[in-house]
Amino acid sequence: MAFVNVRNLTYAYPLTKQPALQDINLQIEEGEFVALIGANGAGKSTLCYALAGFVPHFFKGELQGEVEADGKLSSQSTLSEWTLNVGLTFQNPFNQISGAKYTVFEEIAFGLENIGVPREEIKVRVEEALALTDIRELARRSPYSLSGGQQQRVALTSILVMRPKLLVLDEPTSQMDPVGAKEVFSAVRKLAQEGMTVVMAEHKTEWIARFADRVVALKEGRILMQGAPREVLTSDLLFENGFGVSRYTSAAREARRRGLWTKKSLPVSLDEAAEGFGAIR
Amino acid sequence: MSDRLSFHVQRDSFLHRLNPLTKLTLAFALVVVAFVLPFYWTPIFVLFAVIVPLSVSGKIFREFSWAALRLILPAVGFLFVMQALFQPIGEQVVFKFYFLDATTESVAYAFRNAARIFVMISAFTLFLLSTHPSELMSDLTRRGLPSQFSYVVISTLQIIPQMQAKANAIIAAQRSRGLDTESSFLKRAGALGPLVGPLVFGSLVEVEERAIAIEARGFTSKRAKTSLYEIADSKFESVLRWSLVALVVLSIGLNLWHS
Repeated sequence: MAFVNVRNLTYAYPLTKQPALQDINLQIEEGEFVALIGANGAGKSTLCYALAGFVPHFFKGELQGEVEADGKLSSQSTLSEWTLNVGLTFQNPFNQISGAKYTVFEEIAFGLENIGVPREEIKVRVEEALALTDIRELARRSPYSLSGGQQQRVALTSILVMRPKLLVLDEPTSQMDPVGAKEVFSAVRKLAQEGMTVVMAEHKTEWIARFADRVVALKEGRILMQGAPREVLTSDLLFENGFGVSRYTSAAREARRRGLWTKKSLPVSLDEAAEGFGAIR
Repeated sequence: MSDRLSFHVQRDSFLHRLNPLTKLTLAFALVVVAFVLPFYWTPIFVLFAVIVPLSVSGKIFREFSWAALRLILPAVGFLFVMQALFQPIGEQVVFKFYFLDATTESVAYAFRNAARIFVMISAFTLFLLSTHPSELMSDLTRRGLPSQFSYVVISTLQIIPQMQAKANAIIAAQRSRGLDTESSFLKRAGALGPLVGPLVFGSLVEVEERAIAIEARGFTSKRAKTSLYEIADSKFESVLRWSLVALVVLSIGLNLWHS
């Protein structure tokens, strides 16, 4: 049975009529890395909140259907029980700093203190997490003195240290430079290989194509299509629905329209695009 | 910009090593003694025989005297002048300013009150200079203070400087769009709206996101919390604290007996 089961999920925020999510059905296997794509307002963040239990425990509103992870239903758990297994980071890193701690090391330890992990184990786990996201040199700095990209890494590390079974990331690289973003994708891929289930809402399709196992495309609160990254990201359906896919795919699509692109599939990365365009004589 | 709001000065001294609760008890005890012991010179004695020597041995005398001269003295001096001139007691006038009289009694009364306030503020200044806020809160939480309460105290200390930075950013943004923040009082008052609005509403949104962020990290978990740091406490300090409590009780008793 799938590790995550979303069944007929429809949800509308309080005081709104238009549902943010409509009839979502999604199964995710343990250790799978699923990327959510879609325009702003497509429902990516709301789906992340639903997976992390904040819909309906934090955001009230109208909810139908259910979210199940690791054999438990989110509606039948308390939020604090649910967050022991499911970790969430979201887009704005500044607001994810607890404000209760004076150094990055203490900040990352905050969650472990809350769930009663013994002192010596906290130190070991924080060191491991700092190494995993490569921010050991920030350990003694104040979280507020960091750049947006660095704060995003701290936010991610603060969740990773809790060792959730399901990791939900809502645009975790939005303020990072390309090198930093790639490193995060690569670290997340490694975690998935070690058995952590990952759901990541992102716009960076080139990295999604390279690192994710599956892509789920959302439009106006519904799943438009899902499948292997290459299949989804190069599909005509996505293009027709105005999804902003990678410029390599768009350029090759235009070349194909003009009869220049002869390869069977469209590229999703720079290397594939270079190879395909190099073949045009 | 300072990234935190804290008076704490890191030094290696016996005062810094004391348990935060011991220092807090000491500060309270000194204040109570200065206020209730029925001897005129008690506040002055407490100041020069206890607080000043503690600041020297705590290696924070420079910071302490800076705070005393720049912050405490002007406030207490103002209080002294007001009470000396306006307290309607005594008959022997020592100073006259138009219709205001300062008498020997009102000056003595004002001096004692000013000295008491001086002791009160300087005892807590000493406490704040030698105690890290997160250490204090961890220790109090360990002793049973609700973690929500300590979270509010610490996060407020940290978030105020961030709010100031944000206010500056909003001011710069609005000025670049032509908002007048430098001319007449009325115009500046009118400029407040476009500055305060984004700051307040932005902060409300932030509160919601921060609540989600700390909730995602088990803040409301029912499990017993642990602490990254071990905060030293000893039998000696426990005895010291109870002795201070006894001193407070004794001072109050003496005051009641005397009156």
